[in-house]
Amino acid sequence: MSSALRREQNRTTGTLLIPALAVIIIFTTIPALTTLSYAFFSWDGFQRSTFAGFENFQKLFAYPYLDQLIAALRHNTIAFVVIMTCQTSFGLLFAYAMFRVKRGLRLYRVVVFLPVIFSLVVVGYLWQSLLDPYYGPINQIINGIGLPEFAKPWLGDTSTALPTLMFINLWRWVGFPAIVFLAGLNAINSEYIEAARIDGASEGQIFRKIIFPLLAPSLTIITVLTFIGAYEWFDLPFVIGGSNGSPAGATDTLALMFYRLSFGSIDSGANNVGVGSALGVLIFTLVGLGAAFGSALLRRREVEQ
Amino acid sequence: MKISKIRGLVAALFAAVTVVAPGASIASADTEITFWSWRTEDKAFYESQMKLFEAKNPGITVKFTPYLNTEYNAIVATALTAGKGPDVIQMRPYGGMANLSDAGNFMPLTTAEVPALKKLPAGILAGAQGYKDKKQYGLPYAVSALGVMYNPDILEKAGVGALPQTWAQLQTAFDKVKKAGFLPLGNAGGNGPALEQLHATVGPTFYGGTAFFNDVVAGKKTFTDKGYVASLKAVADLAKWMPANYQGIDYNTARGLFANEKAAFYIGGNYEIGYFRSLNPSITIGWFPAPKANAGAKRYVGTWADGAYAINAKTTQKAAALKLINFLGTKEFGQALVDEIAFIPTAPYVKINDPAVKEINRWRTTLGTPFLNVVGFRFENPTSSSILQPGFQKLIVGGTTPEQLAKDVQTAVASWYAPQKGKS
Amino acid sequence: MIRLFASRTLFQSVLIINSLVVLLPVFFLVNSSLRESNEFARTPFALARDPFWENYQRVWSEGEFGSYFINSLIITGGSLILILILALGAGFVLGRYTFKGNNITFVFILTGMLVPAKLAILPLFIQLKWMNLLDSRLGLILVYTSAALPAAIFIMSGFFKSLPTDLDNAARIDGASEFKLLLKVLVPLVRPGMVIVAIYSAIPIWNDFFLPLVFLQSPEKKTLMQGLTVFFGQYASQWGVLFAGLCLAALPLVVLYLILSEQFIKGLTAGAVKG
Repeated sequence: MSSALRREQNRTTGTLLIPALAVIIIFTTIPALTTLSYAFFSWDGFQRSTFAGFENFQKLFAYPYLDQLIAALRHNTIAFVVIMTCQTSFGLLFAYAMFRVKRGLRLYRVVVFLPVIFSLVVVGYLWQSLLDPYYGPINQIINGIGLPEFAKPWLGDTSTALPTLMFINLWRWVGFPAIVFLAGLNAINSEYIEAARIDGASEGQIFRKIIFPLLAPSLTIITVLTFIGAYEWFDLPFVIGGSNGSPAGATDTLALMFYRLSFGSIDSGANNVGVGSALGVLIFTLVGLGAAFGSALLRRREVEQ
Repeated sequence: MKISKIRGLVAALFAAVTVVAPGASIASADTEITFWSWRTEDKAFYESQMKLFEAKNPGITVKFTPYLNTEYNAIVATALTAGKGPDVIQMRPYGGMANLSDAGNFMPLTTAEVPALKKLPAGILAGAQGYKDKKQYGLPYAVSALGVMYNPDILEKAGVGALPQTWAQLQTAFDKVKKAGFLPLGNAGGNGPALEQLHATVGPTFYGGTAFFNDVVAGKKTFTDKGYVASLKAVADLAKWMPANYQGIDYNTARGLFANEKAAFYIGGNYEIGYFRSLNPSITIGWFPAPKANAGAKRYVGTWADGAYAINAKTTQKAAALKLINFLGTKEFGQALVDEIAFIPTAPYVKINDPAVKEINRWRTTLGTPFLNVVGFRFENPTSSSILQPGFQKLIVGGTTPEQLAKDVQTAVASWYAPQKGKS
Repeated sequence: MIRLFASRTLFQSVLIINSLVVLLPVFFLVNSSLRESNEFARTPFALARDPFWENYQRVWSEGEFGSYFINSLIITGGSLILILILALGAGFVLGRYTFKGNNITFVFILTGMLVPAKLAILPLFIQLKWMNLLDSRLGLILVYTSAALPAAIFIMSGFFKSLPTDLDNAARIDGASEFKLLLKVLVPLVRPGMVIVAIYSAIPIWNDFFLPLVFLQSPEKKTLMQGLTVFFGQYASQWGVLFAGLCLAALPLVVLYLILSEQFIKGLTAGAVKG
């Protein structure tokens, strides 16, 4: 390459790359590193005061935060397990169904993916109205078909609030794994499947032996994204249960707790930026390690066609 | 082809909108001050009052914005820290905004600038003072009182004759209402603060009112006291009179049940009356103080200075803001408060014509007792409210016991409140 | 053969049931938004006979949805334009130039995807305050851009990489500068990538309510989704108006989606779908 070209390329690199890098560094990298540092100071409202070493982490694991932390962590983990199994299974089911049918395929694709477009604010308020114990159609229907014991206050009862929230999450998100799996299915070389059919294999066998293994890359992506989403779950619980995880903390998540600690709320009193940042570090470590570990583990399963 | 169309559309829209958008403030001679509140219920009232103020003060416009009650504190805290807070702020009473006043967010008010302060008694003024320093940061505008609101028409239909004076008589009244096909109680469990107010209404007669309050504040008694536990149990006992599926019924639906004349009683603060009337202008509302626990106990009316108006320390419109505060301290505004939204104003010489509010005001002066959690224990974390609000939600479905809840409250308060430290 | 047919009906049923589960709530929403609030409270389950358009009128005027909508448009549109410009440039350089820092820079940018804006919200808050960008739509645009750039650059560099190198040489022989090469020759060819980036970036920004909640204080700057939360606080119990608000908030994206469903689906699952 001529040196004139090289020089021009270097200049271009500078002009085109630096702005993007600058934005990322200023608004993502620096704040991320700063969160880490905040955890080691004590705070007076939003004013940083003295260096506090690991004190914030100690406070996080003591009264009154420890109970909330454990409950929130439990909820996030339940969410991950349930969402992982249900959302992924249903996603795969819908994807496979779309893979097999011919009639109405385009319509189904549009409908299956539609809820993913809705904002979580819209989804949250919509389902809150649908599940209203007095005016909501769901309970009206349940009463109508003669099962009044099942017309519960789904979002108000501490035992049903979290499962209901997970169902709403499923309604909203299942289209995403469905489409990813569908693309994965379409990418499979049809010759393999045809050959197996000619050899007399049943659809079930084809699915188990050929299709499922070849879907491994899609499964990896879905699993990692679900893991990250489950442990950073914020939007839907916030819209429906508020920052305290109403009712009585049954829908509290790590991210909600982080918000409460950072900004305060009506009955949890003042904020505590130090402990909040410590929690932020905890969440980030958890998600980062989990995603990296899970991703490496699942990558091994992937098979080249 | 479609792709470039989208891009073109987006670019054109962006260009058009940034050129046309009225983003920047229009240069005008008017001073505009912003005024925030957590009372979404009173939006119409405040807007009409602001129009009156603007008429009296040409050149000043007021933009009133209410926010969702549960997120108000977080929103105000963030805004004030951002330096973008409102000029005039509706301030939570006592410790509700202690962290904000300690951080110097509010302008101290002097009696010279706000003469209305001179006429208020010390107990009321205390509701709007700093926690660490005792400066006056707000002008308390109303006193709230807790009691039992009822629908006289339903009680008549149910054959409830005299108003209940004891807890047992209240249960009988509930039963008669239920048999007549109405809901006894509109209150429900979906909202923690509402349950806390329910307890603050019926509880004092069980735990011993002002004497107990003084003892707890001084550290002579704890929350695990038998009387206090009994007051918690009273709330649990009310659950059976609540509407079906009460755990999931939120605050507005619960209030709506009373306003739409499906429920005979609603237990809570007088500030609900304005909301009931806005939902159902034809409703008649009666009021009586919470019944006594038994023949030997005393009756109490929980009361406290509920909210104040404060000025942002960083306001650029100090003169206009002071004018607004002084307007909010006038007798006329106080009169409007009681006439239109059934508040009990702190402004003196206000004539109370509303029969319900008259009743409330009469009883609260003789039977008044402080709202324990709000007045005494909101200053640091964890507040007693932060334990009780979710705690009550658990209690009414049997998820915890009154004894355990009392213990939890004691642990919470003892962790920061010096006179209670080390006691259980 | 019979087994194949039977399973096809099974799958059709599965998809029909799913369609009902998706569409019935939406139908209820739209239907209820056209009914008067008190009438709805009395009989929640009835078809809207005479559409009650007043609900929508109130939402638009009293509910100030007009201003919320414009703010969302400004912020999403502004972010989109900034993202596309920056990602085009960075994607070109990283995808087609070979230089010493290329790989490291690329990996560094990708790690940006691991940081959710929520966890860094406090330093961002304090930083924006110091930069005087609080309560500013520009501040929000910059934060959204930064959050979206890693994925956008990843996608664009992939597209740039896939173009044949002869194009470069041919353009350079013709005397084109590097910029001209990029703008006149390559950009037209990576348009599909730009559409994907546009959709992938714009949807989460349009739908976000959290960052505006923290960073926008003035009521006149509120975005649509943020305004919806305020709206719900103010109009509680007025069901018809609430539902109309939800419909209006969801409408823009739904309309776009129905017209461009192909691109939407491709766009939003970009990066998750290989190829």
